[in-house]
Amino acid sequence: MSAPPKEGNPVRTFVDEVWGSIFRHGLPTTDKVAARTALTNFFLHIHPVRVKKSAIRVSYTLCLGGLSFFLFILLTITGLFLMFYYIPSVDQAYQNIKDLQFVATFGLVIRNMHRWAAHGMVITVWLHMARVFYQGAYKPPRQFNWAIGTLLLLTTLLLSFSGYLLPWDQLAVWAITVGTNMAKYAPLAGPYTRYLLLGGRQVAQGALIRFYVLHVIALPLIGFLLMVVHFWRTRKDGFTGGL
Amino acid sequence: MAINPYDTPRGKFRTRAETTRRQFLLLMGTLASTGAVIFGSVEVLKFMFPAATGDAPQQFKTTFTFDELTGGVDGSGKAKAGATVRSITADRVSVVVDDAGIYAVYLICTHLGCTPNYVPNVTSGSGVLDAVAAARGDRTGSEQIPNGWACPCHGSRYFIDSTNFYGPAPRPMDWVSISVAPDNFFVVDRGNIVAYRQPGDNTAPQWRLLLKTKKDNGKTLGV
Ligand code: HEM
Ligand code: FES
Repeated sequence: MSAPPKEGNPVRTFVDEVWGSIFRHGLPTTDKVAARTALTNFFLHIHPVRVKKSAIRVSYTLCLGGLSFFLFILLTITGLFLMFYYIPSVDQAYQNIKDLQFVATFGLVIRNMHRWAAHGMVITVWLHMARVFYQGAYKPPRQFNWAIGTLLLLTTLLLSFSGYLLPWDQLAVWAITVGTNMAKYAPLAGPYTRYLLLGGRQVAQGALIRFYVLHVIALPLIGFLLMVVHFWRTRKDGFTGGL
Repeated sequence: MAINPYDTPRGKFRTRAETTRRQFLLLMGTLASTGAVIFGSVEVLKFMFPAATGDAPQQFKTTFTFDELTGGVDGSGKAKAGATVRSITADRVSVVVDDAGIYAVYLICTHLGCTPNYVPNVTSGSGVLDAVAAARGDRTGSEQIPNGWACPCHGSRYFIDSTNFYGPAPRPMDWVSISVAPDNFFVVDRGNIVAYRQPGDNTAPQWRLLLKTKKDNGKTLGV
């Protein structure tokens, strides 16, 4: 808690006021102040104020959920940068990707970060799910969060699939051709699903813009909302932990 | 959470069979909003199904003429240039000339839809005997080795009559209609399938665009 402002120093008073309105507490000197600091700060309160020692053992969660979240943040930031150069048009997309690689300063780094983080996120989400499964951490009262988790896995896979089309190279076009034809084999809804995904019957401009919108807006937003619920529930249900 | 009208001072004196104004409004409101949500969802779904698409037209004209492909027709009604195959990869069609005439194969792999490439040695390494392959198509011209198509995606292979013989493809590729326009170029209509075969059906289609008359013989299969 900031000290009462010194008389007769308006600048100091102003600075203290602004500082005090952002950071409601002074440096956490005691456990109690530390707990209150965490509780009153939006970003800090995502992490619990108090955790069991057993639950923060790295060998317990292997940090897989956290790593997935970290990669998601990384993908959001690098994805945002890619969007400055990328135009979802069949005439331009491939050239944009080449420009990113060979013209834009550090474009190659950004693109590779996005690509490798995408592969990484698919892997960490799978492993996270496997960890939860093998520890039986999906059992009551955490069934709901397991269900949210499966949706998060699905969202991750869909993000990875939709991003794959965007470079509009041979790999992209034929992977989406194959993928959407698989969807077509689903009973009854199959052909409609394919038409809906592609916005037509061919992998063409209509498909590219659809996948782009899904990739940069719809799916990240869905993923974000699911994560909010997911993290909230982890906090409420507590850790399964070597009790 | 619905308000229990029996808790209101006025409600207390009513019997259960009656509907209070609040209940009535609640019911009407629920019905109206449910209706709006259903109607809205249907409209959103319809919006997401494009009423018109930017798909390429089904019909297209070739960049080569009848005479360029066949080299002219000899007395017995065969192409002077012999058996040939001309692939138009961008439009996903191969035009094949054999002794009986001309046909067009729609290059959509029946596995998962990639474009198979024309290859002159389609049986190589597949364990299929050349004799078996030769029986699928009459290769009398320059191409003595069995030719056909191989898919780059998962390796399906097709004989020259488009029958699948290797890899995951479940059935032969379709044949589509080809005709000669007045200006002597070909018109291929990918919307008009002239030979459609189910899995396991290895019948060789008899449909041909006849060289002598420049008209097709009408012998469609499975359509
Ligand atoms: C808000 C989040 C995201 C945004 C704004 C975004 C944006 C983009 C953009 C503009 C591209 C095209 C550029 C390129 O292909 O290099 C792209 C590609 C791609 N994205 Fe994302 N992305 C996001 C999240 C994700 C996530 C979470 C994943 C996977 C788990 C992912 C997987 C991919 C993949 C596999 C590609 C193709 C990469 C390549 O070929 O280089 N993206 N993304
Ligand atoms: S799409 Fe041709 S083999 Fe799979």
